[in-house]
Amino acid sequence: MVSGHSSSENYDFDLVTIGAGSGGTRASRISAQQYGAKVACVELPFDFVATDEKGGAGGTCVIRGCVPKKLLVYGSAFTEEFRDAKGFGWTAEERPPFNWKQLLQKKAKEVERLNGVYKKLLRDTGVELIEGRAKLKDRHTVEVELSGGGTKTVTAKVILLALGGKPVKAPIPGKEYAITSDDALVLDDLPEASIVIVGAGYISVEFSGIFNGMGADVHLMYRKPLPLTGFDEECRQHVSENMTKRGIKLYPSTSPTKIEKRDDGKFTVHYETEGEKAKTIVAAVVMFGTGRAPNTKNIGLEDAGVKLSKKGGIVVDEYSKTSVDNIYAIGDVTERLQLTPVAIMEGMAFTATVFGDKPTKPSFENVPSACFIQPPLAYVGYTEEQAKEKISGEVDVYVSKFKPMKNVLSGRDEKTLMKMLVEVSTDKVIGVHMVGPDAPEILQGIAVAVKSGASKAQFDSTVGIHPSAAEELVTMRNATRRIKCNGKA
Amino acid sequence: MAGRTVLSVSLDKSRSAFVAAARQHLRQPSCRRALFCSFAPAQPSAGNLPGYSTAHRRQSACRFRHCQVRASSSNGTGDYDYDLFTIGAGSGGVRASRFASTNYGAKVAICEMPFDLISSESKGGAGGTCVLRGCVPKKLMVYGGEFAESFEDAKGFGWDSTRPGLTWERFMDNKNKELDRLNSVYMKILANNNVTYHEGRGKLLDAHTIDVDGKQFTAKHILIATGGKPTKIPIEGAEHAIISDQILNLSKVPKKLAIIGGGYIALEFAGIYNHFGAETHVFYRQPLPLRGFDEEVRNFMSEQYQQHGLNLHPQHTPVKIEKAADGTLSLTAEDKDKQKVTLGGFDHVLMATGRQPNTQNMGLEEVGVKLEKSGAVAVDKASRTSVPNIWAIGDVTNRLNLTPVALMEGMAFAATAFGDNESFPDYENVASAVFSSPPLAHVGLSEEQAVEKYGDVDVYTSGFKPMRNTISGNQGRGFQKIVVDAKTDRVLGMHMVGPECAEIMQGFAAALKIGLKKKQLDTVVGIHPSSAEEFVTMRSPERRIRNKQPVEAHA
Repeated sequence: MVSGHSSSENYDFDLVTIGAGSGGTRASRISAQQYGAKVACVELPFDFVATDEKGGAGGTCVIRGCVPKKLLVYGSAFTEEFRDAKGFGWTAEERPPFNWKQLLQKKAKEVERLNGVYKKLLRDTGVELIEGRAKLKDRHTVEVELSGGGTKTVTAKVILLALGGKPVKAPIPGKEYAITSDDALVLDDLPEASIVIVGAGYISVEFSGIFNGMGADVHLMYRKPLPLTGFDEECRQHVSENMTKRGIKLYPSTSPTKIEKRDDGKFTVHYETEGEKAKTIVAAVVMFGTGRAPNTKNIGLEDAGVKLSKKGGIVVDEYSKTSVDNIYAIGDVTERLQLTPVAIMEGMAFTATVFGDKPTKPSFENVPSACFIQPPLAYVGYTEEQAKEKISGEVDVYVSKFKPMKNVLSGRDEKTLMKMLVEVSTDKVIGVHMVGPDAPEILQGIAVAVKSGASKAQFDSTVGIHPSAAEELVTMRNATRRIKCNGKA
Repeated sequence: MAGRTVLSVSLDKSRSAFVAAARQHLRQPSCRRALFCSFAPAQPSAGNLPGYSTAHRRQSACRFRHCQVRASSSNGTGDYDYDLFTIGAGSGGVRASRFASTNYGAKVAICEMPFDLISSESKGGAGGTCVLRGCVPKKLMVYGGEFAESFEDAKGFGWDSTRPGLTWERFMDNKNKELDRLNSVYMKILANNNVTYHEGRGKLLDAHTIDVDGKQFTAKHILIATGGKPTKIPIEGAEHAIISDQILNLSKVPKKLAIIGGGYIALEFAGIYNHFGAETHVFYRQPLPLRGFDEEVRNFMSEQYQQHGLNLHPQHTPVKIEKAADGTLSLTAEDKDKQKVTLGGFDHVLMATGRQPNTQNMGLEEVGVKLEKSGAVAVDKASRTSVPNIWAIGDVTNRLNLTPVALMEGMAFAATAFGDNESFPDYENVASAVFSSPPLAHVGLSEEQAVEKYGDVDVYTSGFKPMRNTISGNQGRGFQKIVVDAKTDRVLGMHMVGPECAEIMQGFAAALKIGLKKKQLDTVVGIHPSSAEEFVTMRSPERRIRNKQPVEAHA
């Protein structure tokens, strides 16, 4: 462990962080502010689209992830409001004119503001922000190609790699015509014609909701029979039904094979659906939401002896330490659980371990997460499929499907799904899932209860907040089914 | 029932002997045309419970000539028509009845007055206040009103949406259709759970006999679940004012609306009608609205209400309502300097000045059921009244007047009376929400309550601009607060103002119920981006209070 109180006699800094995204910024400022470390943080100059030369303080979350995405989700959700207002007596136009450029400008302004906030957070806590591209020279030396020209070499007792990741495209012919989520967030115009989105992870699913809400004709292609691999299957089914009802065209068990550019500027996407003949579709935009790769190229990691996994992620131990003793890594670059609050947790644990003399492991148990499709999906704990695999003994599954109160008047044909998994032998709630309005907000407090070890009996003893959707989670009286699980105890 | 002596309760054991005598008596033809039968011996005071003298027993024998035994049931109801008779088919009454019937096999009947959107001495309806005149219609109107904000917010997001027109009648029709539907859903729940429904006004004749509009029924247990109703304050011109039952059913949106009261009902309707375009004025006696809530939250709410366009008149005591020639109303109030202020031109004046339990004219005191000064039925921890086979739950007991609390009381009652499992409702950490604009939700203690009770308290606060408002331009803000016992690290209270707070608070309420520590809260990973995640990321206290005194902030 490195003592933060000792002077950095032999090094320029106690800590040099490479990457000022959510994790890197948090780790840097806490190290400086709370533990008195001398800290520098290196980040690429700002741009909306990330490249080898461009990035910006705030990182993926603030500039090309969570934040701009959520703002667009808000923007696109108004169509739902216009439509639903009728049942409440409003004589609203179902789809008033929409100005995509105006929304994107405002979004850009907000993202720039937040980028400034992040820089200020670092400066205000005494972290030196170095703008440029960093490269490891050796295990204590970082060379920065400064964005203003020239290079700067700094030495550090500890180096933290918080380099994040970037979207990757599926390797098919014509992939150069496709855009990624970075590009989708800065499209000049809302596609009037079809948009094909490839992949059905949460990013693709969220973008299909955004573009659909804004009036685009969205086609979502994915290899599995259901979207959102990894989420609870019943929820995946439910989301898939909701998406279809809202007009998103789903292509399950489908892989695109080739993209061609047409004379009219549009693209022909060739695709194959399991058990069917190859087909084509013409699209104005093709977006790939086909995964992300850790940013570990051309940083000199190998030179410094930092080991990478086969997929290119940095290999770390439970304390986020790499194969090199004084080099640590957090966030998406480590490919553990790629979520902003997880990177922040890892950053906090890193600072406590390294500068706070308090070895701390981030805990990946019961980390809640959400997919901001409309209506959204959120969960914490085990899916039913995971429970079957990992729990030994019986699990009670409580399922509730109901029409949200608002939909009764709006006439919207959509039900909310709630699901709770309870280990029979302990009565512990081991998983909670929800598809429906406000699911991500609702699941946060539920995650606190689950993480704190709440039993089903304790959930039942909680008085509901009436009228709310969330109260359903404390009033599930009868198990829908009991499943046998075959995991090891 | 002239000439009838009021009967009260007895021990069941003694009752059986008495019943045998009654049966004997009933074989005599002279008894056939009698109206009712009370097996229980008379008891001068219902307060002194089990013991009764043989004199009482003898006294009561004379009543046999007016007796007619209800068919003794074949399914173990013993000598009563029912094991349970519930008066009032609101949330609590329905829940208790169906649990008694379905979970514990009791033979159950319930009575409720005929359906009407406005309650009265003779009108009510299955579903009760919550479904017909409270939570449900209110929330539907809150939803309806919120669209007004959405249309405005949408502009910031690039939608060219002008505020559309409103067909109020269509909205009210749709709302009322839904209430009709829910009313029948409640009827169906009762039927599906084998609870016999008797329409009419229930009245106690004695501790085991209920009269429903002239028909009598006997029951081993009686449950009073008659709810409450809005009250007016007795000022000059009070007859011109309306109550919440009525404001849920206006024929058009008022241009200008006065609301008397600063409680949650007042502020919820203020938000609703403000959204629908009424110029809304709220008059209340306190310096801040929402008495009983956390003081800092009340201050914040007060600012937010004004920011949303409500005209608040704190420290105003209404004295008079007058009707002008054009039909509009004026309200005169005394401000804090005792100056009289009159505002006119109101289409309606709503009195949201409290509610009172429905305990009048139903024979409660006559059969020995003790009432509190407020008129509420006095009950013990298990919801038993002063008459041991008569129970009461819900608003009529004026404990914590919330639907889910009535449900809890109803289920605990059913377990106690029929499940052989003495159960007490637990009033700790009951979360609740105010669906005003913005909404407010909380669970546990306010800062003031916590300081009073624990002395050493850490307070975490966070004010925030909802993410949506960064683009919409909506000036509304949110606020979150955690109150922690400094000695044990236990979270004592959580408070939130802002979108979705009622939904957000439910899970935290579950966590508080199991004794959540602040340290545990800190280990939970946030859901990003959400408003709720702020609750798991509040790391430094805004202030520390020791021995009830604030010490240095930010340690």
